[in-house]
Amino acid sequence: MKPDSNPHKCPGISRRSFLADTGMGFTGLALGAMFFKEGILKADSIGQTWRAPDGKAHFQPKAKSVIWIFMCGGVSHVESFDIKPELNKYAGKSIEETPYKDAIAGGKADKNVVDANATHSTRKIIMPLQTGYKTYGQSGLVVGDWFQKIGECADDIAVVRSLWTLHNDHGTQLTFQTGRHPREGAFPTIGSWVAYGLGTLNENLPEYVVLGQPVGDCCGGSWSFGASYLGPQYAGVHLKVNAKNPMPFIAPAEKISQEEQMENFSLIGRLNRLAGIDYPDDKNLQARIKSYELAFQMQMSVPETVNLEKESAETKSLYGLDKDETKSFGEQCLVARRLVERGVRFVQIFHGGGGGGAWDSHSEIKTNHTKLAAQVDQPIAGLLKDLKQRGLLEETLVVFGTEFGRTPGAEGTGRDHHPQGFCAWLAGGGVKGGVVHGATDELGYHAVENRHFITDLHATVLQQLGLDSHKLEVPGRKRLDLDHGQPISEILS
Amino acid sequence: MRMSGSISKLFLLAILIICCAVFCSSVKATPANKRALVNYFGPFLDARLNACTTCHLPSTLKAPESLDEFPHNPFGDRLRRLGEELDSAGKKKDIPTRLAIISKEDSDGDGVENLVELLLHHAPGDAKDKPDEKELSGLSKQQTDFKKFLSAYKWKPFEPVTRPEVPKVKNTKWARNPIDTFIAEQHEIQKLKPRPEAPKEILLRRVYLDLIGLIPTPNEMQAFLKDRSRNSYEKVVERLLADPRYGERWGRHWMDVWRYSDWAGYKEEVRDSKPHIWHWRDWIVESLNSDKSYDRMVREMWAADELAPEDSDALRATGYLVRNWKLLSREAWMEDTMNHTSRAFLGVSMHCAKCHNHMYDPIPQKEYYNMRAIFEPYGVRTDRLPSEPDIKKDGLPRVFDTNLTAKTQFFIRGDERTPDTNIVITPGVPKFLGGKFHVEPVQLPLLAYRPDRREFNVQNAIASVEKTVAEARAALEKLKNNKETKPEQMVEAEGRIKFAEAKQQSVLATIRAEKLEEKRDSAEWKAAAREACSAQRNFAVLETKEKLETLRKEQADAQAKVDEAAKKTNTTVAAELAANTDLLDRAMKVLKSAETNFNKAEKAFAEAEKDLNEPVTTSYKSRQIEKYPTTSTGRRRAFANWVTEKNNPLTARVAMNHVWLRHFGQAIVPSVDEFGGNGRPPSNPKLLDWLAAEFMAQNWSMKKMHRLLVTSSAYRMSSSWDAANARLDQDNVYLWRMNPQRMEAESVRDNLLYVTGQLDEKMGGPEIPSAKALASKRRSLYIQNAAEKESEFMQIFNGPSVTECYERKPSVMPQQALALANSELSFAQAKVLAADFEKEKSDSFIQKSFERILNRKPKASELKLCQEFLQKQTERMEQEKKSVDEKPVVANAKSNAAKPPSAPSPQERARQNLILILFNHTDFVTIR
Repeated sequence: MKPDSNPHKCPGISRRSFLADTGMGFTGLALGAMFFKEGILKADSIGQTWRAPDGKAHFQPKAKSVIWIFMCGGVSHVESFDIKPELNKYAGKSIEETPYKDAIAGGKADKNVVDANATHSTRKIIMPLQTGYKTYGQSGLVVGDWFQKIGECADDIAVVRSLWTLHNDHGTQLTFQTGRHPREGAFPTIGSWVAYGLGTLNENLPEYVVLGQPVGDCCGGSWSFGASYLGPQYAGVHLKVNAKNPMPFIAPAEKISQEEQMENFSLIGRLNRLAGIDYPDDKNLQARIKSYELAFQMQMSVPETVNLEKESAETKSLYGLDKDETKSFGEQCLVARRLVERGVRFVQIFHGGGGGGAWDSHSEIKTNHTKLAAQVDQPIAGLLKDLKQRGLLEETLVVFGTEFGRTPGAEGTGRDHHPQGFCAWLAGGGVKGGVVHGATDELGYHAVENRHFITDLHATVLQQLGLDSHKLEVPGRKRLDLDHGQPISEILS
Repeated sequence: MRMSGSISKLFLLAILIICCAVFCSSVKATPANKRALVNYFGPFLDARLNACTTCHLPSTLKAPESLDEFPHNPFGDRLRRLGEELDSAGKKKDIPTRLAIISKEDSDGDGVENLVELLLHHAPGDAKDKPDEKELSGLSKQQTDFKKFLSAYKWKPFEPVTRPEVPKVKNTKWARNPIDTFIAEQHEIQKLKPRPEAPKEILLRRVYLDLIGLIPTPNEMQAFLKDRSRNSYEKVVERLLADPRYGERWGRHWMDVWRYSDWAGYKEEVRDSKPHIWHWRDWIVESLNSDKSYDRMVREMWAADELAPEDSDALRATGYLVRNWKLLSREAWMEDTMNHTSRAFLGVSMHCAKCHNHMYDPIPQKEYYNMRAIFEPYGVRTDRLPSEPDIKKDGLPRVFDTNLTAKTQFFIRGDERTPDTNIVITPGVPKFLGGKFHVEPVQLPLLAYRPDRREFNVQNAIASVEKTVAEARAALEKLKNNKETKPEQMVEAEGRIKFAEAKQQSVLATIRAEKLEEKRDSAEWKAAAREACSAQRNFAVLETKEKLETLRKEQADAQAKVDEAAKKTNTTVAAELAANTDLLDRAMKVLKSAETNFNKAEKAFAEAEKDLNEPVTTSYKSRQIEKYPTTSTGRRRAFANWVTEKNNPLTARVAMNHVWLRHFGQAIVPSVDEFGGNGRPPSNPKLLDWLAAEFMAQNWSMKKMHRLLVTSSAYRMSSSWDAANARLDQDNVYLWRMNPQRMEAESVRDNLLYVTGQLDEKMGGPEIPSAKALASKRRSLYIQNAAEKESEFMQIFNGPSVTECYERKPSVMPQQALALANSELSFAQAKVLAADFEKEKSDSFIQKSFERILNRKPKASELKLCQEFLQKQTERMEQEKKSVDEKPVVANAKSNAAKPPSAPSPQERARQNLILILFNHTDFVTIR
């Protein structure tokens, strides 16, 4: 695009300074994100010294981007990254008959569960492990056989085995993203705090992107990547791995040539700049001009980013794109890498979304987890390896989580919901590799050592990105200590 | 705020730590008391004295666990004792009053008065800490300044509204009405100059969008520009306030504040709000259009079932409470009701007091539960409407007291798992707001608790049995005319008729008796009752017999399945045996239950036959489809009365602040849902107090207040920038110009349809599914809006959040650009408008498009740009077309048929594009 060269008689200074402020066409967007913030700033700043974040880190960051991988429905912790051999030993016995009967004595089982759904009450008869397990890497991490490929990356990941959450039903998928009990409704998600606190690293993509089928309507739906009171500009933008239709309104509803659309957007830009001469102070107008430029770019860059044709066969196979079972999730992982490569701050990948979540194996857990793990194991391991070989892992924090674990006791051939103790793992972005932190008891019932509520994961992410969540707090939106959480410093290098 | 036990413990600990660490010691001085001290002294309070130690000593305990364990110093002790004295004398005992009383005392006995010490930054409760001679010499200036500070207009949101005097200002020419004088006073203090009146085009567009949410048509604009009369603008305002589209526009505003939500849930299961809640939406729109007084609206929303139990129009209002209905958690339902009722109507954050005494306002935790008790008994039901017997299709969702003896419990630290059973909770309101709260139970009229007795329900019941008889007779006729009909079919059909007739007689006889029930001693009733008894007995025999036959068949079927399954267990293959045994077990279970049912039915039939031979009595069974409590607790009515009493300090202030926000784009109290200590100070407290007083004086008429606001000089100001003013007041806090605003989501969508004349202006009715948001032509407030069932297009333009939406916060983001540039709605509307102006020459086309979409003429520079655009794009597309046309085309019949009938010519196409571009012009979505 050529600079606006229309010769108008306008008050020189304001026009020139306006054009300088808003760029000379479809060029730089450095100011864009800041303008969006100023829109909010104005509305909130009356009579107060508070200012919206300026997009700068509060201290030296260790990571630039986050890939937040979430398994919907509840992955069994005792058969993945927190293997419990005692379950084989006491298989078929009631917990009450084992030396660990205290775990469920005197109402202890549901002590931290708020508004418990009684149908998911204690399962007492111990079920043996439904998969084998091995040790991996120099660290000797024990991983269930469903996740052998991730096991191979043992020395790059830090497992946190002592998470607990607030609720025993799938609504707590929302808790994993916001830190709040599901019945409290919408709150800013971790991704939106990142987008709000840091803003963009690129000029043609959103700051916060969501991939995969999200959490179902029952359990948070779009709230699980929303921004609540921070404003929709900080909500996750859901992309489909479909170059033809990756997001709403990204492609014109009618056939229109690129040239034609370029002419249209160009005239929009010119007319809006002319309006800017009359309203040189109008920050919203400046932001709008930028937003049209970003929108125009996104029409190309979003489909380009989700288009995997140009990836090498080797890369594709690393992510499992050549196999039916891993193709779909592999594509999402590969797009995630392409997004962080292009400067997107926060990528949230859902697996098994919709309804209660695919991992929710109340029966036939062996069949269920065998099948689902086969869909994600290679793609996730592929992602870790690919990030590492490209030197991106150092600046990209990968988090793997699920809303809760599954009961040590049997529910027929399955396991029930288990919020009392479960696990997640982190890799890259300044996290130590080959580390295990925290522990559940011998049955995997309660998190007993170095307990961490979900928001400690949030705090860890923000810390690695150089953000202090207390400084991001919005006036009138008092957050509790529990909302902020504490970084899990033991796993950080 | 929900917290588990261990968390809330953490939370309390955190409070103690903050108090101990920051203020060295602590505290029975609730933060609310400390806040009152800070408010009283304002900038005169030294940072060192903005501390708990101003009134308290360190705790003597090593690890104090409660706020009670920090003793007072002499100053604090005096304040506390004075509070008790005033309280027992029944006098006002708020902190400012107490501080004023003891200002000349010397609490710590160091020879210097309390106020003097405080003004000179020394502790009034510490004898060792006192000002020296030099400091005392500077006292008089401090005293004068402080006196001035005290006499300045004070924001006292928790005291009843008193009408401030209209100030005298210099700029009398500018000040059209009292609102302007309050604003002019601040202009003069701040040395600001109000911007001139906005150009007429801008003013008209502003007031149209503000009052009816739609832009003026070119004709309306022309008429206004031509009208040179002095009151041309006022005439427009009158017309718009009388326009029914006003109710739709402002209805949506109040739907935001009152949290309107269509029903939501997982698939078909209703989990939030209720189906047909749109009746409440229509009530809002109608009430605003008829200028129903705000206090009455509020009373109806909380207690129409107690105030007007038989008025189904008014009952729609209780949708406000219906909306909080939740399938999954009564606790969350009650919590939402408390949280949002206090924030929307009182601007008070009661929910803070769920777990602990309020940190900023004098609300003890117990009062949270007192207020909750007001709502504890209420439940939700759907009443049948005359127009539709099937409540799945339509009905009136409304509230009623369902559990009259429901107990409210005090939850320790807000945790429902730890109720304190020693504390008895009675219904009550926050005491610090004063006023009378008087509960009296309400005796409900019959039709309110027995809605099945309403005449249309009676008629429906009669019509329904008549219909069955008619159908049965028709079926027999059909069989008669069919040659192939077998005799047993005829017998069965005749049986059906007998059955239907017996039922009809039973229902009719019962209704006749029911209608006479008020005269139970009369011979008339006795005769009717006996008839009903007899008819019911006749029908009972047929009914039980039919049931018996059905169950006999079911039992036989179950037996057959058992026999079949039993055969299959005759196998030696282990796996098969296991599976088939399982099958047999299940079949046996079914059979057993079928047998039980059959036996019951057999007994019932025998009893019915026996009854038939008993002497006929006057005891019959009433038709009891629905029965509800005959009284209502009256708690909600008492609450509604308390809130809408004129001495309630908050109701009018909060409402006027909301109205002001929506006219001016900036509220007077910026924290619109928080007027308490944790809120933000008002920009012009005197103005808000005057507005609140005026609102009540005008009998809570919204339209009168709108008229006052939009005809003020302040409202008519230009929104143009001014560097000199901006240097003094960058954020326009003191309103030296009008705030430019962005259209709300609804206006963006509505006006896209409206500029082309496509907007369907039908009012009211069921919500339009959100998936049809871009295809429907109805106004946006009728599009479904519920959790997970929102229109994507509208959410992108910051459409209303269903969880809470006290203030829209418009953002600017690329998704909006994509939605306006790429959506089917934009393309379709661009085509319609381009076709409208098809006959116009290029210049005139551009001009008309500007006038229609942006309500202004194009400037010369814009005209030139647009002309160039049309010309260049047309030429380029013609060139392209030529090169395509020159290519040989392999035609066949099929492809010709599939071709759109009239692909636009390059010129048409370019013109459509220009319209599309103007939809994306900043001046379309911007209200200057």
